[in-house]
Amino acid sequence: MPVDSFRVTAPFNTTDYRVYSKKQNELPKTVQKERHDGRQSNEHRPIVMKIGILSQAKGSAYVEYQNTKVICSVFDPREIPNKSEYSVNGGLYCEFKFASFSTQKRRGFIRDAEEREYSVHLRRALEPAVIRHQFSNFQVDIYVLVLENDGSCLAAAISCANLALANACVPMHDLVTAVSLGLFGEHEIIDPTYSEERSCLSKPYVNQAEQGQGIITVSYMKIFQQITEIVHCGIMHSSSINHYIEKLIAENEKIYNLCRQCLVGNILVHLREKKETEAA
Amino acid sequence: MYSILFSDAEKTYIWDGVELNLRNDGRKRNDYRPMELETDVVTHASGSARLRLANTDILVGVKAEIDVPYPEAPNVGKIEFFVDCSANATPAFEGRGGEDLANEISSALLKAYDVLPLNNLCIVPGFSCWKLYVDILILECGGNLYDSVSLAVKSALYNTRIPNVKGTYIDGTNVDLQLSDDLFECWKLDVSKAPCFVTLCKIGEYLVVDPTVEEEACSTASIVVSVGENGSITGIFKIGEGSFHQNAICDAIKLAGTIGNELNKTLKLALEKEENLGIRRERYGFLK
Repeated sequence: MPVDSFRVTAPFNTTDYRVYSKKQNELPKTVQKERHDGRQSNEHRPIVMKIGILSQAKGSAYVEYQNTKVICSVFDPREIPNKSEYSVNGGLYCEFKFASFSTQKRRGFIRDAEEREYSVHLRRALEPAVIRHQFSNFQVDIYVLVLENDGSCLAAAISCANLALANACVPMHDLVTAVSLGLFGEHEIIDPTYSEERSCLSKPYVNQAEQGQGIITVSYMKIFQQITEIVHCGIMHSSSINHYIEKLIAENEKIYNLCRQCLVGNILVHLREKKETEAA
Repeated sequence: MYSILFSDAEKTYIWDGVELNLRNDGRKRNDYRPMELETDVVTHASGSARLRLANTDILVGVKAEIDVPYPEAPNVGKIEFFVDCSANATPAFEGRGGEDLANEISSALLKAYDVLPLNNLCIVPGFSCWKLYVDILILECGGNLYDSVSLAVKSALYNTRIPNVKGTYIDGTNVDLQLSDDLFECWKLDVSKAPCFVTLCKIGEYLVVDPTVEEEACSTASIVVSVGENGSITGIFKIGEGSFHQNAICDAIKLAGTIGNELNKTLKLALEKEENLGIRRERYGFLK
């Protein structure tokens, strides 16, 4: 991305004033069984999914987990730029971006390391699902913008991008959904919020052998029973992985049904509209 | 990503070999290739290491410089990883060609090194701390970049010597840094918690450790697990275009845990052995 030299950028090293507030820095040392928003530990936040919200993109989607809001647009395949040799499989170009006001600390316009990393995870999660040999030598552009980040934004982004791809009629084997799991000692919390994520990643890590701390995000294709991407940060013991993955897959299956409902519902609305216009 | 020209017949040969647990270089599925490791190879770096894993050649230099800590974490130092995919390795890295791969490796390292406590690197809380610049140079690609880079980084950090600097407050809040008179009076970083990566490459139905370039070309997906102290898992991510079944992923992570634990122990022994040879040991550099 070229740097826009005409844009007046904020001073380079400013800090958010909330960093200096004592209350802000006091992280909850443990994740309680009672979560701060009253959810159960295995309860996902309510999900809003909508597709076709942007008129100029080929496909678009919006996903909201309360205060985590993600928008995604997918564009028509175009020839892969700056490439000389023929590639049998088409490419996916993913761009993950936080809106500059989406997090507590202001984000710059140029993609930072975290955004680049999330872009890679997004591409890896979606690549196995897309039938790429049907658009050889072409690439599909996927742009994800996080409007507001209140935790689990990568999971929301993957589910959102999947809906946008389906909305853009990109050939796919299966739908991809993703869920995050926060670990803190014996507590395992589905769909952690931003403050829960911070507690899960707060250092020093609890160093007891059987107990984990951190965040796992798993993206899953339900029909094929395949995990398309797994991202873990933090610390855990390898013996508990089975349990975590089973939990994440069960949750992914619920979201899968929601995605399907959203897509089918959209088709039904279109059919009804078509019928009405024909009748008129 | 770098790639090679490879025919279907060659692929079948590798697939069948992996199925028989006899790979084309005579190894079993869980065997590593021989490694050569030498630390303290660069004069101007605070710590350095060069690792050669068959054809993969990695040079790592660590430089310690003084910086201001982040306001949200005033008591800890900083660490940063830069990967440079030199065009010496493969012409595909020329220009900005290696940038994607470099970004992937450096962000993976940054995440995995979250477990390393950096409290020792703080000089005066809120005012000054050490920042470790870990620069990784990939000189040759012979497969299994993640594992070799992580081992080389860990060795370079083990080798890193940080000078004794004391911070004193003068007139209230102004900080004055005092370097000890003897510049060789240094302390060493504790890397016992530092992780190493274990890449498990899926070829056919089997998981293979330490893939060569040819084997990487045969596989659709690999899983990279970073393994810390006592076999704990400190990070997982997938590379490649394919996907895994639930059982395959669980098996892979468990296998990686045991292999990584073994790898960490062996590396520790090797590093201690080299250090015990003393400062006047024979150096090989690039001549071997």
